[in-house]
Amino acid sequence: MNKRILKVGFAALTAAALTLGITGCAPEKKLTIAFVMGAESDPFFQAMKVGAEAEALAQGVDLIWQGDPSAYDVATQVPIVDNVLAQSPDGLVLIPTDPTGLQASADKATAAGVALALVDTTINDTTNAVITITGDNGDGGAKAADAIANAIGYTDGETYEVVVGLTSATATTNVGRLEGFKARVASDYPGILIKDVAYSASNPQTANSNVNNWLTKYPNLKGIFAIDGTNASGAAAALQAKGLVGKIALVGYDAYPANVELIKSGVFTALIAQDPAAEARLAIQALVAFIKNGTNPSVKDVVIPNVTLDANTSDDDFAKYTYVAIN
Amino acid sequence: MSNSKQDTAGKLSLLTQVKASFSNQSALLVVTLVVLGVVFQITSQGIFLTTNTLGTVLNDWGSYILLAVAQTFVVITGGIDLSVGATVSLSSVVAGWVLVRGLGLDSTTTGSDATPYVLLAVFVSLMVGLTVGAINAFLINVLRIVPFIATLATMGAMAGLAIIISGGMPLQGPNNWELGIPYNVFGIQLPISTTVLAVIIITVICGLVLHKTKFGLHTFALGSNSFATRAAGISPAKQITKVYMLSGGLAGLAGAYAYIRLGAGSPSNGSGMELYAIAAVVIGGVSLMGGVGRMVGIALGTLVLFTVQSGLLMVKVVTVSPSLKQVIVALLIVAAVAVQTLQKSGRK
Repeated sequence: MNKRILKVGFAALTAAALTLGITGCAPEKKLTIAFVMGAESDPFFQAMKVGAEAEALAQGVDLIWQGDPSAYDVATQVPIVDNVLAQSPDGLVLIPTDPTGLQASADKATAAGVALALVDTTINDTTNAVITITGDNGDGGAKAADAIANAIGYTDGETYEVVVGLTSATATTNVGRLEGFKARVASDYPGILIKDVAYSASNPQTANSNVNNWLTKYPNLKGIFAIDGTNASGAAAALQAKGLVGKIALVGYDAYPANVELIKSGVFTALIAQDPAAEARLAIQALVAFIKNGTNPSVKDVVIPNVTLDANTSDDDFAKYTYVAIN
Repeated sequence: MSNSKQDTAGKLSLLTQVKASFSNQSALLVVTLVVLGVVFQITSQGIFLTTNTLGTVLNDWGSYILLAVAQTFVVITGGIDLSVGATVSLSSVVAGWVLVRGLGLDSTTTGSDATPYVLLAVFVSLMVGLTVGAINAFLINVLRIVPFIATLATMGAMAGLAIIISGGMPLQGPNNWELGIPYNVFGIQLPISTTVLAVIIITVICGLVLHKTKFGLHTFALGSNSFATRAAGISPAKQITKVYMLSGGLAGLAGAYAYIRLGAGSPSNGSGMELYAIAAVVIGGVSLMGGVGRMVGIALGTLVLFTVQSGLLMVKVVTVSPSLKQVIVALLIVAAVAVQTLQKSGRK
């Protein structure tokens, strides 16, 4: 009897050990993270891709990098998100091109059990997102106001005409920066008059045309806030072509290598720089931790501060914040 | 004939002429331009009809007219070329790559020192454009893919290539900014620069090719009736190859124009331009069904489009929001198509 019990016990233990062993030895399923960005032709997203690929490699996850080649547009982004979700990723990092237009796509992802991270821009209802990450656009706009005021030698009692070049009316980054710019102007520089805004639709030639028209419309123009890299490129070309470098303060956004060089030659008064690679790294880290361990990030709504790059910036900071190209 | 009869005949003749004029898309566009000029001059408080503003309008016109001309040839054959915007991006990027990465130059080379490099950029851009056109022709002729899908595919591929080659960043190279600055002749500022003048010459040549040569005749014939064209001994495949290569070449030159305008080759230089080119073609009176179109109409249609774009920005008496501007441009396109439809029904 005792022998029989021992035999049965031994067999049970062996079976249990084998089962545990098989389970323990089974290769862990490799996670897939989909990353749907705004417009691949925008250097901001190229810099973001560098961070995303590096973090995917470090975390040992597969990365699906998708987005429209050139149009930052809700109409083209929605079907791209649908296609990506059809591949059943474990997580989705989304840069929504419109807060309302991408809400349904985000809801569809979370309903399907896909962990969601929102980066750079956001949607109206972020309840189901694991994490939201953005540069501090309001603060960036405020820093741009400071840079323009400093460049034009702002004095209380005087008035100064400035204009703002945007890409679209609904991109939340544009909206945030513009609001931050307006708020700082209202509170600290009431003599700065924001005379006009116009859209470039992500085309630097359109941004160039807008600035050329403003130079005629406002002969006393003192400053231009180019709210993103596309507008910055178009505005810089307009000032160079018209020989107005140094005569009109130009503050741009995004540290494209070519634009950083133009700080040194005086075309840009300052550039407000973000850290898109850091945003991508943080998003993938948060999603992997959530999917693997169910761990929520310690801070759900992360804001990464922007920095002002100007002629006084150190070479180390220029190297740190200049966007890195893919090749 | 009594004087009263002569007067009546004269009035009828004048009325007929006015009617005939308004049934002509080009005449209508001229009238539209005059009206727009007056309206914007008043609402901008006198700054619209100045050489500076007209210079900007013509600079924008120069960016897009080459694509509109390209699209005209293609649409007259009954096709469409969606790849022209991406070709602008790719050709400007390749030109920038050759100058910046290939020859190791940067934006510090300016003025007349940069002119030979700018000319090299023009040549490289043209070659890139012709290659894209040849690829489109191959897809349409050999693989039998309809133009919409074939050029949609090349649009995506060329936009992607532009990003790969540039690494997604603008390639800032040597530039002679003077080429894009309007002429000053004996102290008189003109609204035309060297680049705009070059584009006007190209447009006139293309107009002559379309309306005065056998090539143009075959292009119309292909769009009107491809079976009859074949029966007449014209090879549709050869004609399609020529037309799409011409379209690609013109888009390549538009890429060079963008490079000179911005001093950089960027993957976003041609972003969304194909849609404006199609809009300009529609406003200019080309039938999207093929077989109908006049180059004068295209030149004027493109001018109307960018007069509206600049004019609305120059308005001072009221604030025209950028969103309202988009709505007005859309209404303009609808109005142009409606006029075409009414003209057709009138002729019937």
